[in-house]
Amino acid sequence: MSQQKTLTLRPETGQRLRWLPNLRDAGTLIGLVVIAVVFTLSTPLFMTAHNAINILQQSSINACVALGMTLVIVAGGIDLSVGPVAALSAVITASTLHAGIPIPLALCAGIGVGLLCGFCNGALVAFAGLQPFIVTLGTLSLFRALALIYTGGNPIIGLDRGFRTIFNGTLGPIPVPVIIAGVIGLVAWFILRKMPLGEYILAVGGNEEAARIAGVPIARTKIATYMISGCVTSIAAMILIGRLGAAEPVLGNLWELDAIAAAAIGGASLMGGKGSVVGTIFGAIVLGEMRNGLTLLNVQAFYQLLATGLIIIVAMLVDRFTRGRA
Amino acid sequence: MDGYSLPRLALENLVKCYGETRVIDNVSLTIEPGTAHALLGENGAGKSTLLKMLSGVVRPTSGVVRVDGTELPSYTMAGARMAGVAMIHQELQQVPELTVAQNMFLGRALRYGPVLARTKMEIRAQEVLSRLDPSIDVRAPIHTLRVASRQLVEIARALLFEAKIIAMDEPTSSLMPTEVAKLEQVIADLCRQGVSVVYVSHKLDEVMRICHRGTVLRDGRHISEVNLRDMSERELVSMMVGRELSAFAHVSFRTEEVVLTARDLCWGNKVRHVSLDLHKGEVLGIAGLVGAGRTELLQLLAGAEKPDSGEIKVGGVARQFRTTRDAIALGIGLVPEERKRDGIIPLRSALSNTAITSLGRFTRLGHIKAKQMRARINSLYSDLQLRPMDPDKPIRLFSGGNQQKAILARWMLAETEILLLDEPTRGIDVGAKQEIYRLIRMLAAEGKAIIVVSSELLEIMTVSDRVLVMRTGHVAATLERDALSEETIAHYAAETLQTAQTELVS
Repeated sequence: MSQQKTLTLRPETGQRLRWLPNLRDAGTLIGLVVIAVVFTLSTPLFMTAHNAINILQQSSINACVALGMTLVIVAGGIDLSVGPVAALSAVITASTLHAGIPIPLALCAGIGVGLLCGFCNGALVAFAGLQPFIVTLGTLSLFRALALIYTGGNPIIGLDRGFRTIFNGTLGPIPVPVIIAGVIGLVAWFILRKMPLGEYILAVGGNEEAARIAGVPIARTKIATYMISGCVTSIAAMILIGRLGAAEPVLGNLWELDAIAAAAIGGASLMGGKGSVVGTIFGAIVLGEMRNGLTLLNVQAFYQLLATGLIIIVAMLVDRFTRGRA
Repeated sequence: MDGYSLPRLALENLVKCYGETRVIDNVSLTIEPGTAHALLGENGAGKSTLLKMLSGVVRPTSGVVRVDGTELPSYTMAGARMAGVAMIHQELQQVPELTVAQNMFLGRALRYGPVLARTKMEIRAQEVLSRLDPSIDVRAPIHTLRVASRQLVEIARALLFEAKIIAMDEPTSSLMPTEVAKLEQVIADLCRQGVSVVYVSHKLDEVMRICHRGTVLRDGRHISEVNLRDMSERELVSMMVGRELSAFAHVSFRTEEVVLTARDLCWGNKVRHVSLDLHKGEVLGIAGLVGAGRTELLQLLAGAEKPDSGEIKVGGVARQFRTTRDAIALGIGLVPEERKRDGIIPLRSALSNTAITSLGRFTRLGHIKAKQMRARINSLYSDLQLRPMDPDKPIRLFSGGNQQKAILARWMLAETEILLLDEPTRGIDVGAKQEIYRLIRMLAAEGKAIIVVSSELLEIMTVSDRVLVMRTGHVAATLERDALSEETIAHYAAETLQTAQTELVS
């Protein structure tokens, strides 16, 4: 015990290191820039302020969904039901608006639906101990069916003008959807990096058994991630119906794939325990700029799908082979 | 061939560098045919790297490996295998769903043209396996076998391909004492048949029983070649650590105050009518064979499992734990046996692993006061002598000893009054072991109440004020410190007197 206090500490090193930009996020950013350079060289239409804002706007819906998905994935889960949750939330919001209920209440109703759907997913995973993939595969059908049954399969058209102007407006030059996605990004970052919930999410995804023994509230943490996912998905749905002016019960088809892709490109591990909010945002923008650029180049939709698939695989390959040498 | 002049295995001036660091620095050694040779040293001394070079997993930077005087055809796994080197890994490399025979022939299946020669393989497998343990069925899926039998299958696999050298890395880490005895016999038989065994284990008593000679490594260098038959464990440990070990005098900090009581705890057939009292400042050891219900008892006390019947009192008040969180709220913390599986969150930093339980205390207005928390944890780490001091590094990159310290720090940070330690030094090297013992005593001095479950009698006897011996789920005896001896503990731990003598007293 004699030499107990002789050791000197360097607590400051860690502190400084933490503020350096994350290497993995920098990698995603490089990918984003490289793709932008290629498009800039290919078409003069790409690198304009107007188009940049366009890309951000087009990415904003996926970014919202992907941010929720990132938290779910980091906690070791997956949420395949985001599309139908969006649809259900959209049709409920639209019908409450039609019923003449004030906009703030209608928004609350929509977001409430998202939270409730998320709670169902989370409770089935946390309390019944079912696998997240299967649970959300089930609710994927279930929520979609509810949306179709509720509307009889018909779109709800002619949305309230006030509601539409909120989501089609701009703040200065920046469209409201981009601002919303940005705010959600900040909140998600804060949760993951600054709040106990974030540590719990990382711990549950990293090693659930160890987290349990350390006293992490496992069920609460899991349910929280699915509820956050449901919440941001319903916000994404508002953005969409605000833009379209109609709520279709079939909207949100394949949203889960785009969201998972953005999270994975951004560095989230589907094994859980690892993922980045900043990375996911970059990931969503990469997917958005790919679609935008290829459209500007008049590339056929089939080839756009091909390019999206390739980008995901290339990103994963780069990730795999740079990690070994780091 | 002139068997006398040629050693079975010769390592000549082996060097392995990773960048600037030399993990193996000019190590030479020779092993004669039919001997069991131990590689000894603390974690990081270079034992595993040496094994990996021997078996072709890692290519040496320079130096030569010779088997029977011939250099390995190539420093790859295939090359080592061709030369007759087989490696039994700590984590067995088997496909759980395949049968014993299929596993033994994995990657080297016998065939008739394109068709697998299943029967032929099964007969061959049975032939070889019967030399080790005739009771193993070669058609059984490997996952239905006990770990000990799976290990024998792995050895049989080596014999099947006429291995001359079998390297074993911590082969007994999950074996029961009877199974260890069986393995000892198998190794002795292998040696008689002329196979050489290279043996790595943290359990020195076992090494000294099994091996004839040993090479002590420290910091990647060859320290000395020893004849294990005429050395004491103590001498050996000082040689490995590189300094004299201080034996500390035992001072009891036990008070009269009872902080944790169990009455008549039952859980299936694993824990049967266990009662105990734990005092403030006391270290209560729990000894017993693997499977005696010790780990399960700790799980009940920590709220990780629910008892079928019985009562747990904390500070005199009867409590029921729904989850570990209830127990933690009452000041009970568990350090689990399987550190990798149940203890650490591998990708997270040491800091996060330590902080995870106490985050609530450092949270103001929804966010974590990182600076305050970091300062507190750093001061704990320095008390614990956790080195190297980079708390932001992922914990999986730390040594076992340092991981364990980070987990202990977790409970110290949470100001947990009752600590349940399950095999606290499993897989930790000898130097760090002594530090953990010192820590346990230090915590007791601070007034914590501690239960230590351990399979190492010496460890139990070093740290405990009182020892509970468990046997098949119930308490066989409670021994005060002055009544402790290996013989008495072994006597109560074993199911019958006869097995006691064969299993534990050596």
